[in-house]
Amino acid sequence: MATMNASGAPAEMLPFGGRQDVPQRKRLDVERFQWGSMVLLLPALVLLVLLFLIPVGYAFFLGFTNLRLVGPTALSYHFTGLANVRQLLHDNVFPLSVELTAIFVVGSVVGTVIVGLALALLMRTANGLIRILVGGVAVVAWMMPAVTAGMTWYASTTAGGTFGTLLGLSSSDFLHSQPLLIVTLANTWSQCGFAMLVFAAALRNIPSEVIEAATLENASRVQRFRMIMLPLLRPTIVTTVLLVTLLTLANFSLIYIMTQGGPGNSTNILPVYSYQQAFSFNNLAYGALIGDVMVIIATMFGFAYVRASKVRV
Amino acid sequence: MRMGRLTRCALAALSLAVAAGVAACSGTAHTATSPSSGNAKTIKVAFGSTYVFDTTGLTNKWWNQVAQQFEASHPGIKVQLVPIPGSYNDIVNKLSLLYRNPSTAPDVAEIPTGQIGLWASSGYLRPLNSELPSTSWWNEFPAVVQSEGTFGGKVYAVNQGENDSAIFYNKKLFAQAGISVPWTPHNWSDILAAARKIKAKLPGVIPLWFLAGSGSGANGLLQGINNFIVGTATPKIQDGNKWVVDSPGIRDSLTLLKTVVDEGLDASESQLFSPNAVTTPLALFPQGKLAIAIGSNYYPGNWTKFINAPAWPAAPQTMGVVPIPTEHGGGIASTLGGWDYAISANSGNPKAAFDLINIMENRQNSIDAANWAGWVPPNKTYWTAPAFTNFAFSQALFGQILPHATLTPSSANYSIWVQGMGNATGQIVQNPNTTVNQAINTLKSYVSNQLGPDSVETLK
Repeated sequence: MATMNASGAPAEMLPFGGRQDVPQRKRLDVERFQWGSMVLLLPALVLLVLLFLIPVGYAFFLGFTNLRLVGPTALSYHFTGLANVRQLLHDNVFPLSVELTAIFVVGSVVGTVIVGLALALLMRTANGLIRILVGGVAVVAWMMPAVTAGMTWYASTTAGGTFGTLLGLSSSDFLHSQPLLIVTLANTWSQCGFAMLVFAAALRNIPSEVIEAATLENASRVQRFRMIMLPLLRPTIVTTVLLVTLLTLANFSLIYIMTQGGPGNSTNILPVYSYQQAFSFNNLAYGALIGDVMVIIATMFGFAYVRASKVRV
Repeated sequence: MRMGRLTRCALAALSLAVAAGVAACSGTAHTATSPSSGNAKTIKVAFGSTYVFDTTGLTNKWWNQVAQQFEASHPGIKVQLVPIPGSYNDIVNKLSLLYRNPSTAPDVAEIPTGQIGLWASSGYLRPLNSELPSTSWWNEFPAVVQSEGTFGGKVYAVNQGENDSAIFYNKKLFAQAGISVPWTPHNWSDILAAARKIKAKLPGVIPLWFLAGSGSGANGLLQGINNFIVGTATPKIQDGNKWVVDSPGIRDSLTLLKTVVDEGLDASESQLFSPNAVTTPLALFPQGKLAIAIGSNYYPGNWTKFINAPAWPAAPQTMGVVPIPTEHGGGIASTLGGWDYAISANSGNPKAAFDLINIMENRQNSIDAANWAGWVPPNKTYWTAPAFTNFAFSQALFGQILPHATLTPSSANYSIWVQGMGNATGQIVQNPNTTVNQAINTLKSYVSNQLGPDSVETLK
């Protein structure tokens, strides 16, 4: 029984009388940080600092200097305060680039989720051979390196390519007349294999009793999908959306290979614009600043992903 | 771990600040270190291994040849070759990164003409004024070639080989269209007239290859519209530290492009925007699909069996080559650009580095490089030598054009003007309703947006 001793510290009644001061025992139902775990976490922490925090911090610092790749300030560069930020605010390609990135990301995410989900649903009821073939093709498209995917789509969508031939317009150059649409389709094509795999696994986890119960209640296929499967898939959809967003935000290679950001500025998304500033115009510091903006945007999405994937008990 | 949200945010911000602080301490101002003792036993030589010469095999053959000659005459000093694969941008970026650190900076580097000014201003290069007078070759370089490496009176780089432009036309197709050969256009109207005749008589053939768009970068302008701009009364692209974005010369050149595109005399948009557009005529001419092209001096060499890119034995009989006329006639117009040798400001053995350049500029090596890379050798006595003129048809003509050619700007921000002009010409090809005024606006607004409104100029 808990009682107090003379100085107010907890004391305990012993079975045969007398009191004994209770050592200040901590409550066991509260999570406490185990400082001993720092030893085990240290290698990962060192890697994180060396390979992530320091380079990103350096990039943030460079964004506020006048460093150039070649030129008078290539070696003797210095901190210039907010000069680059002022340039960013007056640059009329930057807001265009942000808008293009937004369209590209939203288009890719919507496309990837819809196509991936459709593929996963259709595969459930397809016969074995078709399932293997389609699944195989989708996964190969996903594993393909960006260079291969980019070259394939470049060849298909320019004049004389398969797109034009299939539609009977073989001399049309789809890539240069609708560049953002084509690169978004290319990105969707390369990501939907991943979405398909994730959704296929999630669909397998939907208990069949629930579907059976709905069928017994005379729910149509559409009702079963909309009211049973979709709500149960919601967590998967959310995490897939966030993951594809993060993957697409950083997607430099595909667009660079297909259009180099052109024609004009029509596919000049943030990673491509950052590269153009840093390596084509030699303006390393300004390119770093654009990269910093990308890091901030990606971090916000990253936080959203961490919150969304927290296990709710 | 139970941490309040505030604590987590504070920790994240703190770690980022710490990282930035650490990085800032290590990233403060650097200056080039002073050169070492001057008698290092190895000299590093950096060069483009797949892009500059016509084939990788010939690249290796030439560089090994000069390295062996150097080592034979300089016992005890070794040549370390640093090949850089990839195209123009990859070479420039890689060299920029190598030069940042004195220990990786190559003693001798092959750098493109258009970059010399930039590199000289970064303090990377060593002036060569004291060594040049004692050479046998420097005074044989035309004035325009000598000036390409000269900034503020100091010579920072010496030419390895030059590219200039001329008009290539298919004599057989011309005969079929009823145009008499040999053909000599005296002005721009003559070029248009011939292209129109080809379009009328030979519908399946591209009349004129006139590059447009930003797909080919600076090379697209070098072998495209710049050849017309430099042939007008206002050829200037750079005026001091301002960029000319509007001038009668630029307007007339854009008008010419618009006329060519609107009348269907140019290649298709897809072909022009391809990253390989600069070399596509090499394949189209042998197939009889192209009548006229603004081409470069490397075409004839590429068609020889030796270079085989592609080999076209009938080229000398089928093709005619003629200088590009100025707008209203009376002169020759051509752009000029190539590759140069430069010595690093931090070279461990500048004397040996210059000796290597001396060997590379001798008659045999210079002519071999010109033949194997598709250049005109910069030395007057070499471009008239039979070893060069007999290598491929019309090479002698390109030597004659060389002293009349105009250098492209070598400033930091030329790449921005290039992108702006690429956007302007691309717009004309993509959208037939684009007026010349709109194209000029595209160029002007692009350059002013990137460099500020007081960096652009209109010439009257």
